[in-house]
Amino acid sequence: MLTKLSGGTVYDPAHGINGKVMDIYIRDGRIVERPRDDERIDHEYKLGGKVVMAGAIDMHTHIGGGKVNIARSMLPEDHRHDPAAHSGLCRAGCGHAVPSTLTAGYRYAEMGYTAGFEPAVLPMNARQAHLEMGDTPMIDKGGYAMLGSDDLFLRMLAAKKDQNAINDYVAWTIAASQGMGIKVVNAGGINAFKFNQRFLDLDEKNSHYGITPREVLKTLSRAVYELGVPHPLHVHGNNLGVPGNVETTLNSMAGVEGYPMHLTHIQFHSYGVEGDRKFSSGAARIAEAINKNKNISADVGQILFGQTVTVSGDQMSQFRNAELGSPRKAVCMDIECDAGCGVVPFKYKDQNFVNALQWAIGLEIFLLVDDPWRIFLTTDHPNGAPFTSYPHLIKLLMDKSFRNDVFATLNADAQTMSTLASIDREYSLYEIAIMTRAGAARLVGLHDRGHLGAGAAADITVYTDDADREKMFAKPDYVFKDGQLVVRDGGIVKVVWGATHTVRPEFDRSIEKEIKTYFDKYHTIKMEHMKVGDDELEDGGRSRVIVQECKGRREKTA
Amino acid sequence: MSALTFTLKKIPQQRIDCAPLTPNMLAGKSAADIGAILLQSGNETLRADALFDISGDNVAEIVFANGCDKLDYIGAAMQSGRITIHGDAGWYLGFRKKGGDIVLRGNAGDFAASGMTGGLLHIHGNAGDFLAAAIPGDRKGMAGGLVIVTGNAGDRAGDQMRRGIVLIEGDAGDYCASRMIAGTIGVLGATGAYPGYGMKRGTLLLFKPPKLHATLQDCGMHTLPFLKLMAKSFRDLPGKFAHLDQTRARRYAGDLANDGKGEILVFSN
Repeated sequence: MLTKLSGGTVYDPAHGINGKVMDIYIRDGRIVERPRDDERIDHEYKLGGKVVMAGAIDMHTHIGGGKVNIARSMLPEDHRHDPAAHSGLCRAGCGHAVPSTLTAGYRYAEMGYTAGFEPAVLPMNARQAHLEMGDTPMIDKGGYAMLGSDDLFLRMLAAKKDQNAINDYVAWTIAASQGMGIKVVNAGGINAFKFNQRFLDLDEKNSHYGITPREVLKTLSRAVYELGVPHPLHVHGNNLGVPGNVETTLNSMAGVEGYPMHLTHIQFHSYGVEGDRKFSSGAARIAEAINKNKNISADVGQILFGQTVTVSGDQMSQFRNAELGSPRKAVCMDIECDAGCGVVPFKYKDQNFVNALQWAIGLEIFLLVDDPWRIFLTTDHPNGAPFTSYPHLIKLLMDKSFRNDVFATLNADAQTMSTLASIDREYSLYEIAIMTRAGAARLVGLHDRGHLGAGAAADITVYTDDADREKMFAKPDYVFKDGQLVVRDGGIVKVVWGATHTVRPEFDRSIEKEIKTYFDKYHTIKMEHMKVGDDELEDGGRSRVIVQECKGRREKTA
Repeated sequence: MSALTFTLKKIPQQRIDCAPLTPNMLAGKSAADIGAILLQSGNETLRADALFDISGDNVAEIVFANGCDKLDYIGAAMQSGRITIHGDAGWYLGFRKKGGDIVLRGNAGDFAASGMTGGLLHIHGNAGDFLAAAIPGDRKGMAGGLVIVTGNAGDRAGDQMRRGIVLIEGDAGDYCASRMIAGTIGVLGATGAYPGYGMKRGTLLLFKPPKLHATLQDCGMHTLPFLKLMAKSFRDLPGKFAHLDQTRARRYAGDLANDGKGEILVFSN
């Protein structure tokens, strides 16, 4: 079966292709070189004048795991107000801020997304997260396993175990929870919360273990690097949402001593304390630091106005935020010895000083970071806004006058605190393709996704070029998933199930002896039962597991 | 102009969501538009004129000529005008109604007046369970307006009710005024088990001695002048509560297991 996409305007930053008119050939789900002239083309799509990109990749979106389910059960109103009826192909669902699994998959595909990564898979809850992602159709999935506040890791640090033992434990965790990488949430802070600490700064000690967040970040970023895991340590910093946390964030960047680190939803970590209300933008300083430190990447976690729900492993922050919930309800909970979880519904308001400034800070970071390969387009779904608002966000980035028009309607005090209106930059289609495709694939470590070269999986999105970028990105003409046409004119025409991406770094199996002893003593289940098997991800053949390449153990180079 | 009248062509097999058939939803629509409105019935979506014979043209005055217990959400989110139902109504009658009047000449299903915030709901018959209560997942029931039931109400009448007045001229079932947050409920007839269970604030007016559980405390007989004002405010209401004239009642406070600022006033007649 040979399919030809002819005459589209292609944006493929991985190969430096910026708006070149060219043909793409698909065979058996893969993009192939131009075939011989005598080969029969089975199907041809004429894409003259259309924009062709790889399928978009959301590298940070909460679509699976306990906290998402808690949010669903906590927000019946979110479901009632946004029902999605079944069609001949798609099953019914509901939910604006936290859609049901099926609806989330359909909506992603209808926007041209072909992969999404759940950033907070608690190893102890990995099975549930994978089952839920396995029930999310259309897109490829994967997760980052959460470490850094779990008791075993902190015990190892406190006992001054050597880096190799830590590396083995980290690799074992990735393998056992079938992760794509490692995430740290409020390094050590979730654990400190259990010992009654309510804030934890970068150099503040956990009152029980005597470990500082700086040590956690340094050890884990080094472990991830030395194991050869392609995705750098995924860090949700300390002091989320606290005015003045820009200092913490800058110190965290320096704290990893050159090891690669990805700072997630950095907008929530870029607040200063200037001005009458002691809340100001730290975007310029953050952007400058990202521009300077090539080992650092970040996604923004842009907020957009409206009702949503914040779901996080950062129990410490969510405990602080619980009072701000709208509607006023919240859940905070410990999860075994692993970490915690907090869910607070939230309504971002454009006339609220803090919310309006948060909006501006996010956009400032987008526009002030020079290298689109190291800054990524997210709303930290659903924390800043539901993922369905991405087309709107893309329009804000690509259209300066639209951005300034919106800005002019916001809280007046917030406007005076932001330099947004003076920034002229507009993102190009090429840069958007980097942020949402090529860069994201490279960051996550998807070697065969996010580009359109021969050998890549044929995840392709085709848009009609429209000056209104929101309209353009909301409704692609065609979406191909692994070579199959799944969306036409923004509507699902075929339901597929996507795959789960994992990495399998090598490690010394003898570490299991220590882990098993720990499980037997402290956990509610046996170590062997906690491991998630391939058969569970494959779900009787509906899905499959794709193991992405690890570079193998390496020592620090710089 | 004559009342816009919906007459069921036959008793439907499946429940019908009648939420689109309210004065504010139909305002400005022609007869053809109204006939073409799509209604959800079971797993089918059907045109209004496939289910009903439609006559009349005054959308502010809507009549269901032969109601039945499968017609759900009649008067949902209604803001003004008047809906009269001859026969029964299904579940969620007057759901989140903001204003206007609904008169039901038959029995209502469960969750009547749930989330209602204004206007009148007059049920000439019995109401089902969860009258003026919150639907599952919501934390507040009825939050304003007036409900009069000439017959009996089912269990959990006024569950998590927040504001407004519910007057039941017959009996109320079990757990009347359970988890009530605020507002007023009056019951002329008997109440079932556990009236005022988990009641936080609010007033329950009873005219037959209730069986109360341990966390409702007897505060003795009182002459309460405010009752005179309340009775005066009821004077123009249709129904039996218009004749209320007592100012002396036995007061019970509770539920002490949940803040205990609610009161049950029992009149001895």
